[in-house]
Amino acid sequence: MQRFYAARAEGYPLVKINTHRFKEIAKEELKNTYSRGFLDIFSQFFPILRKNAMESFSDPQEALEKSAAIRRDVVARLPQLLDAFENNAANNGAKVIRVKDGREANTVIVNLAKKRGIQYVTKGKSMVTEEIGLNQALQANGIDAFESDLGEFITQLLDRPPFHIVGPAMNVPVEEISDIFIQRAEMKTPTLDPVELGHAARVYLRNKFHHAGMGITGVNMAVADTGTIINVENEGNIRMSKSSPKTQVSVMTLEKVVPDMQDALHLLRVLCRSCTGQKLAAYVSMDSGPKKTNEIDGPEELFIIIVDNGRSELYKDIQSRQALQCIRCGACLNTCPVYTKIGGYPYGWAYSGPMGQVLTPLLLGFEATEDLFRACTRCGACRDVCPAGIDHPKMFQAFETRRQERKKIPGLNREEMIIEMGFVIWGWLVTRPRLWELTARLTRKALSLPALSEPLKRIDGPVKHWTHSRTLPHPASQTFREHWKALKKAEYDR
Amino acid sequence: MQTVSLFIPCLVDLFLPRIGEATIKLLRHLGLSPVYHETQTCCGQPAISTGRTSQAVRAARHFIDVFKNDEIIVCPSGSCVYTVKYEYPELLKNDPILCRQAAEIGKRTFELSQFMVDVLGVNTTGASFHCQAVFHESCKNLRRLGISEQPKKLIENVSGTMLLPLKEADVCCGFGGAFSVQFPEISEAIVEQKVRHFIDSEADVLILSEPGCLLNLDGYLKLKHPDKKAMHLAEVLCRTG
Repeated sequence: MQRFYAARAEGYPLVKINTHRFKEIAKEELKNTYSRGFLDIFSQFFPILRKNAMESFSDPQEALEKSAAIRRDVVARLPQLLDAFENNAANNGAKVIRVKDGREANTVIVNLAKKRGIQYVTKGKSMVTEEIGLNQALQANGIDAFESDLGEFITQLLDRPPFHIVGPAMNVPVEEISDIFIQRAEMKTPTLDPVELGHAARVYLRNKFHHAGMGITGVNMAVADTGTIINVENEGNIRMSKSSPKTQVSVMTLEKVVPDMQDALHLLRVLCRSCTGQKLAAYVSMDSGPKKTNEIDGPEELFIIIVDNGRSELYKDIQSRQALQCIRCGACLNTCPVYTKIGGYPYGWAYSGPMGQVLTPLLLGFEATEDLFRACTRCGACRDVCPAGIDHPKMFQAFETRRQERKKIPGLNREEMIIEMGFVIWGWLVTRPRLWELTARLTRKALSLPALSEPLKRIDGPVKHWTHSRTLPHPASQTFREHWKALKKAEYDR
Repeated sequence: MQTVSLFIPCLVDLFLPRIGEATIKLLRHLGLSPVYHETQTCCGQPAISTGRTSQAVRAARHFIDVFKNDEIIVCPSGSCVYTVKYEYPELLKNDPILCRQAAEIGKRTFELSQFMVDVLGVNTTGASFHCQAVFHESCKNLRRLGISEQPKKLIENVSGTMLLPLKEADVCCGFGGAFSVQFPEISEAIVEQKVRHFIDSEADVLILSEPGCLLNLDGYLKLKHPDKKAMHLAEVLCRTG
């Protein structure tokens, strides 16, 4: 696994991955009163929007089960569906390029741009390009990338990672947006009016669209049957990025494929409802190849880059495969008690919340990502809303099991060592009721003695962490077992 | 008198024996004869959730050994019931005999309120308790065992208790076992919000039916809001006056 991680990490010389700093960044973010306030409102508001939208289905549960079944089917037949998509897209005139990792993807795209003398590209919001660090790769080669999704545009100007996979800048205060637009987006006068801010971004980006030679976007769905790529958005910027420039580059990860249009349309309905609580997003565009000879509009050439980046590797494991069912709706983030307290930054890479906690460790390895899959209360709220049928808590449990199987005792720190020894003793006692009982009694006694419990509150370990915001459980005067024995004795004596 | 076997979670044995005592009282009040096997230890939930399979299997084997002859097993914790009913068969899938035994035991294992309402058809225990209360929906009960209406029905029928609505009642309390000690700051932020909703509801008692959540919420309340109280459902249902 260590080797796997190293190999993966090597693929992203340009993206900063901070998964190992999860705890540290989370602690910082918990102190951010602005984003905490925002998340409080957001987490109450969004699940209701979603729920109301889902109720427009005659049977919401059935709709969810159907979308989950489609995604399960996709993952089961992934290699065949990808081949079919590739063939059909090629027949439509698209050039399909499969790449093994982020580095290769970036090289291919940079070369496409260079060969065409492209100075800058416009981009539609795309998580895979965040994953592979495409913007940084383009920049390093002297090619400017202009993010054209409003949220993504703001995070790019601020040079911040996405806060949410759907709303990357939704936590940024409007004052900050005004300031950064004045500094970096040619806005003349400060304003707190969202419409004016939107207008400023529009004016700035419209000019870029006008002269762009290449547009780069992601893909929401790739229909195997027809070779069509589908994008869902609310701002029209993706459509603009796909249709104004001569060259269109669509980047997708291999799990984006769906069998046919009928399945795609059902997923579309569920995706929009799960994502933003809309029955359908404002813009849905479908492209089957570049501009045909008899057509007036559209790109002259279309490249579809299919990025693997560790997915074929995780596909080999039948349990891990489930991660590829995700359709990136973000519903799991919006309902997660952890995400809705800490926001997206602590997750340290492109993907946050439960879907990120599932996907990131599988793509990067478990070495520097274990805080991700441990930062879960196992409440199962994510699993309940997931339209792709992913059982996130169960995946985390499976990760823990695998981690345990590979664990090396000498590599543990003191706290881990204490826990490890605790479990060894626990596992031994659990089948020995008398000793178990004795230990329970002694533990109860020990915790009730301040001379013992007070020092425990100061050294790093479970007691200290528990008493961070709670009192130590008040040890009862007797265990339940003692109570039962006393009760039986009293009844017998009578 | 029908005998029912008590499955008392280790958390209850050690820290919250009053929940076990209340469970006995309640079952006796309903005309049943609860028995407690003193050989029981822990169902293995902590080992299962942290991926310690071999230790979890030991716990599961022991549990099956202790409870295999019982007709009905009742437990005042949904997450422990979930472990037996759903985790055991998966955990023991390599041992067909044990796995089948686990599945059989699972069918006879019930969470307390589920047992009372769904099995016994009891809607009231004749308890009386003067308070304004809210109910917290514990995750495993609500999402995995489908328990929500049963405890609420029982609370509503306690004389003198008024059940008020609780905002985000179905959101986790932030306990999560190991999570609460691995990520104490995040856990605190979650429990803080839960308690804020409780306080905003103007109720004086927060009722729940999961010992883990109780440990968490009660510990937080004692430190930050000592005037407020969290109680297990079983304690409420055997209150008189």
